Amino acid sequence: MYRACIDIGGTFTDCLILDTQGSLRAFKVPSTPRDPAAGMLNGLAVAARGYNKKPDDFLRQIDLIVHGSTLATNALLTGRGAKVAMLTTKGFRDVTEIRRGYRNVRTSMFNLFIPPYKPLVPRRLRFPIEERTLYTGEIVTPLNDGEVRQAIGKIKEAGVEAIAICFLHSYANKANEDRAAAICREMADGLYVTSSYQVLPIWREYERFSTTVVSATIGPIASRYLNRLGDSLKQQGFKGSLLMVQANGLVETPQESIRRAVYLLGSGPSAAPSAAAYCGRITGKDHLISIDMGGTSLDVSLIRKGEIPMTTECWVGDERVAIKMVDVHSAGAGGGSIAWVDSLGLLRVGPQSAGAEPGPACYGKGGEDPTVTDADLLLGYIPADYFLGGEISLDVDLARKAVQKVADRLRLDLLQAAQAIHTTVNSFMADSITEISTKRGYDVRDFALIAGGGAGPIHGPALAERLGISTVIIPRFAALYSAFGMFAMDIGRDYARSYHSRVDRVSLEQVNRLYDEMELEAQAAMKSLKMPKGEVNLARTAELRYVGQFHEVEVPMAAGKLTEHHVKEAVAKFHKRHQELYTFSMNFRAVEFLNFRLKATARKAAFQLEKIAQGKKKPEGSLKRRRTCIFNGKSFNTPVYDGERIRAGNVIRGPAIIEEQATTVVVPPAFECSADRFKSYILRKRK
Amino acid sequence: MGRAKIDPITLSTVWHSLISACREMRYNIERTCQSYLISQLHDISVGIWDAKGETVAVPIGLPSQYLGGKFSVQYILNKFRKNIYPGDVFLNNDPYKGYCNHLPDWGFFRPIFYKDRLLFVTLARGHMVDTGGAYPGGYFPNAYDIHAEGLCIPPIKVFEKGKEQKEILELIWNNVRWPEAVRLDNYSLIASTKTCEDRILGLVKKYGEDTVLACVKEMKNRMEKAVRSEIAKIPDGTYSGEAATDDDGTELDVQVWVRCDITVKGDELTIDYSRSDGQRKGFVNNVFMTTYSRACASLFLFMDTSLAEYHNEGSMRPVKVVMPEGSVINAKYPATVGASPVCVGVQIMEATATAFSKALPHRAIAGWGRHRGHYIFGMDPRIGERYVQTTFDSDGSAGAVYGYDGYPGAATFNALGSVTRGNAEEVEIRYPWRIVRYEFAKDLMGQGKWRGAPGTEWEILNEGGDAAIATGSSDGDVTQAPGQFGGEPTPVSIADIIRGEERTRLKSHRMAQLKPGDRIQKHSAGGAGVGNPKEREPEKVLDDVLDEFISVDVARVKYGVAINPQTMAVDWEETRKLRAVS
Repeated sequence: MYRACIDIGGTFTDCLILDTQGSLRAFKVPSTPRDPAAGMLNGLAVAARGYNKKPDDFLRQIDLIVHGSTLATNALLTGRGAKVAMLTTKGFRDVTEIRRGYRNVRTSMFNLFIPPYKPLVPRRLRFPIEERTLYTGEIVTPLNDGEVRQAIGKIKEAGVEAIAICFLHSYANKANEDRAAAICREMADGLYVTSSYQVLPIWREYERFSTTVVSATIGPIASRYLNRLGDSLKQQGFKGSLLMVQANGLVETPQESIRRAVYLLGSGPSAAPSAAAYCGRITGKDHLISIDMGGTSLDVSLIRKGEIPMTTECWVGDERVAIKMVDVHSAGAGGGSIAWVDSLGLLRVGPQSAGAEPGPACYGKGGEDPTVTDADLLLGYIPADYFLGGEISLDVDLARKAVQKVADRLRLDLLQAAQAIHTTVNSFMADSITEISTKRGYDVRDFALIAGGGAGPIHGPALAERLGISTVIIPRFAALYSAFGMFAMDIGRDYARSYHSRVDRVSLEQVNRLYDEMELEAQAAMKSLKMPKGEVNLARTAELRYVGQFHEVEVPMAAGKLTEHHVKEAVAKFHKRHQELYTFSMNFRAVEFLNFRLKATARKAAFQLEKIAQGKKKPEGSLKRRRTCIFNGKSFNTPVYDGERIRAGNVIRGPAIIEEQATTVVVPPAFECSADRFKSYILRKRK
Repeated sequence: MGRAKIDPITLSTVWHSLISACREMRYNIERTCQSYLISQLHDISVGIWDAKGETVAVPIGLPSQYLGGKFSVQYILNKFRKNIYPGDVFLNNDPYKGYCNHLPDWGFFRPIFYKDRLLFVTLARGHMVDTGGAYPGGYFPNAYDIHAEGLCIPPIKVFEKGKEQKEILELIWNNVRWPEAVRLDNYSLIASTKTCEDRILGLVKKYGEDTVLACVKEMKNRMEKAVRSEIAKIPDGTYSGEAATDDDGTELDVQVWVRCDITVKGDELTIDYSRSDGQRKGFVNNVFMTTYSRACASLFLFMDTSLAEYHNEGSMRPVKVVMPEGSVINAKYPATVGASPVCVGVQIMEATATAFSKALPHRAIAGWGRHRGHYIFGMDPRIGERYVQTTFDSDGSAGAVYGYDGYPGAATFNALGSVTRGNAEEVEIRYPWRIVRYEFAKDLMGQGKWRGAPGTEWEILNEGGDAAIATGSSDGDVTQAPGQFGGEPTPVSIADIIRGEERTRLKSHRMAQLKPGDRIQKHSAGGAGVGNPKEREPEKVLDDVLDEFISVDVARVKYGVAINPQTMAVDWEETRKLRAVS
């Protein structure tokens, strides 16, 4: 049997297949944005050919497909989500438009010249319904069924695709939301219906409602796509499980992904940190900075002690999404990012991107703005004749013409300008890394940089040099980074229960009961995901805070039956973690529990990366040619190696270029690069 | 110091790192403090100054809390001179000794040294849940003098060489209500200054102190150059604006006026408030630092928006601010200042923005809905403890600017949207009040080609015991924030106490007693408009009607757009007629 991990991005669909021997093979086909399912089936067909099988035979032999897609993120960011109506508590119609007064989400407070926020659900489609629940869970006003029915009438006339039911305090009692949902399903069969309790059963209505509306905006799209994909796969003979990568770095069935569609945000990028953690393990590093640099965006994450970082503070575009997500920081920096000069006379790169259309100037598809790729080409880093294995030939003259525009404004010569663009985008990327490391109190020099994505291996080493990072790892599947992450990540689910109690008054019986409940649920769910029993790993955590605070800190909890001792242990960990995060702790202050969490994961499918042949220290026979490359303003006659001929144990001294099929590895003069037996390139700063 | 060579990349990195350090401080305070006002509503400001006390990074906060922080920093450096060490932390809230805002805003200053050389000073200032004085919260009319408004803390050391000055802090905490809460929030603010120190030292170790200082110098010079070239684009001349607050809380129903004259000459300008009213008996007096801060904040709003994030000392160099001592915009000790952020403070921004709008019509900025705050204090019967409650929830929204409608939900011109609102669910859990209604109001904004964002309908029900309410942090029952170029000003706002059948008007700057079961109801104005409403695209007017932001009547009378109430479509012919008339 085979396993497949498939990541559908804007430009390429990446397929990684694991065979019965435990070996991985990579296949890359163009994406088909109008019908992504077709792109996936095409990818599988290409893979089938690779194994000399007929597509339906091959599909029958796949027992698991793990799938990530930027569908949800793109729908939200490009405003192509579904048309949504909202049923909400009377008197609270505008929670998602007032949005707690947030104005300066991405703008300076001194910039008033920004368009007003446009809510996903316009006011005319937000229907106030008579009903009210209190924070105690008591229902003081039962649901007015008549008003719900009336609203649904109008909703149907308006041509809406989804209904989001958002009532106050539904986290404490979901009865009114459930009742309204039942009426919606009865009257408006075929519409996507979701409620705030279902999406995020946590207090604070703005965050809950906003997340619910986002979920409803994605829901119908996810539903159409996943149903169609499921049908097509079935038709072609697929009998295994299809699991979707979730924002939280776990996976879910298509059915559950449709129900809580907001979790499809970041599906794809959320797998990248797992790729990094894996590469870290095989190279013996557990403090890692992962970058995934593609055409338009850069996804960065920081991994400490091998742990995938999580956050609940996300904004996606202009929307607050309060679910717990893998903390992947995205910034507008990629190969297509455009260079420009601002009114302070400073060179800037991005966030505007030339994208795939028209693409960088050197693509010759009509782009005239200078991009990072144009600069990289002029600096000699990427080959004009072997970009993506020769699929796209690059035009050096067009790149020159474009970069010259910035050169003139900065009064620099052409190559200086190209160098400045390269350095500026690296500096911007360095800021993004600083954002998740230095800014959070971690010294970047303690980390190894894992560079994935098409442009990652070109910029990673220079970026590391700038940040003072001494080791860069370029994984074998750098160009299929997220798909590889899907193999490397845990397959599982997470659970949470709220129980608000001071630590000195907590009922251990209650806590034990909550964990027991969650563990039973988890075992049952893992069974339904077809995970063998006994291979499920259960990890507990708890969230605590000082009495009076508004935010909590998560710490690990012991397994098994909990005693006083375990509570004390958790409190000690809390003080310590608070100190680490915020430079102080308060032993004199009472501490309280808020939530108890459980994460259930199955043991991953065993796979091994195929080893490459052992070679000598000298990379004999792999020198392809030489060309002039510019490093820090100096020209070097640089050797260019053929990646296909590199052997384990080869050591290449910078400056050097290694041309791989889907990417180019740039080894700056200060680095030395060695290939390991799994064909990861490990670049170390020379002493 | 030798002239360190700096490349543009290092400059950019240092510049952004200092801004990021401020943002991280703010985030850490939000995560660790216990005050609803600080954590959930963001009544906090942070910044970085250099060893001369010049402004380095001030990306976000309430202008009057920190933008003129250089005066406080210079005061402290001057007062302590050779007696400043690494690990020191200074506390200061006194408007007359140390250039602070009103008393509840406590500022913690940390000098940042590298190898015994003072490089920077950072500040974290937040509105404490209490600061002593006659009543909780800090916004109480009719105090006899500043001492009746609360503890006046001149710059004092609360940490010396890393050691907590326990006796001093104990004395302070013993004189505020909820001392344990204030203590936690103090630690939260102090910890954020430590984080700032860590970040700056990281930067200095990486690039060297000379390089970092050279960058700071260059940052200031570049801003100065950019702001000068912006000012040079304004035609030379004098531009004026004025605005009033309802009254000073002591002498009731007499409006207090702020008047501003901006004189532009070449690439410099003078912002002159000399024609403003004299110092008041009531608590609306601003002091030198707060007026200066607002003059600068107003200026920044009118500069090229790509500069917005980066303003520093350089931006302030081409500007002279004139304010006679002993006036309502530069009061003398012992004048009360409790309500100054909201009353007169907001008017300084409005008057200055009006004057600048005349100078730069394509960047016109209308006034925002006035702050409709309050402080309620009473007993929470659920826990048997006293509470004090305040909010931005009952505020309207932002005013329009040239080119865009006002930003919905953004609260108070004084804070420019740096403060946030709460959640009804959070309020109901924290306080013995139920929120009955909290949503946009219809027709309650200044109309215009670009209209103000909508006002708010807000009503709460007392589920606790006897309580009292003070409306010191409220304004706009009588006076209106200005619209620009034919855009309407903000409408007036209304607040009532409802007890059974009886409805009592609750004006700003007053106090009232509350009983269990009482309701407080507020209709709070949204923002003011920019441009003639008759020039607004009829399609947009229709959208506003369909979204019930405005009525069919207002569409017709003010916008000259006829909408058929049956079909809810624009009657184009009728609209042409209506618009032809004016």
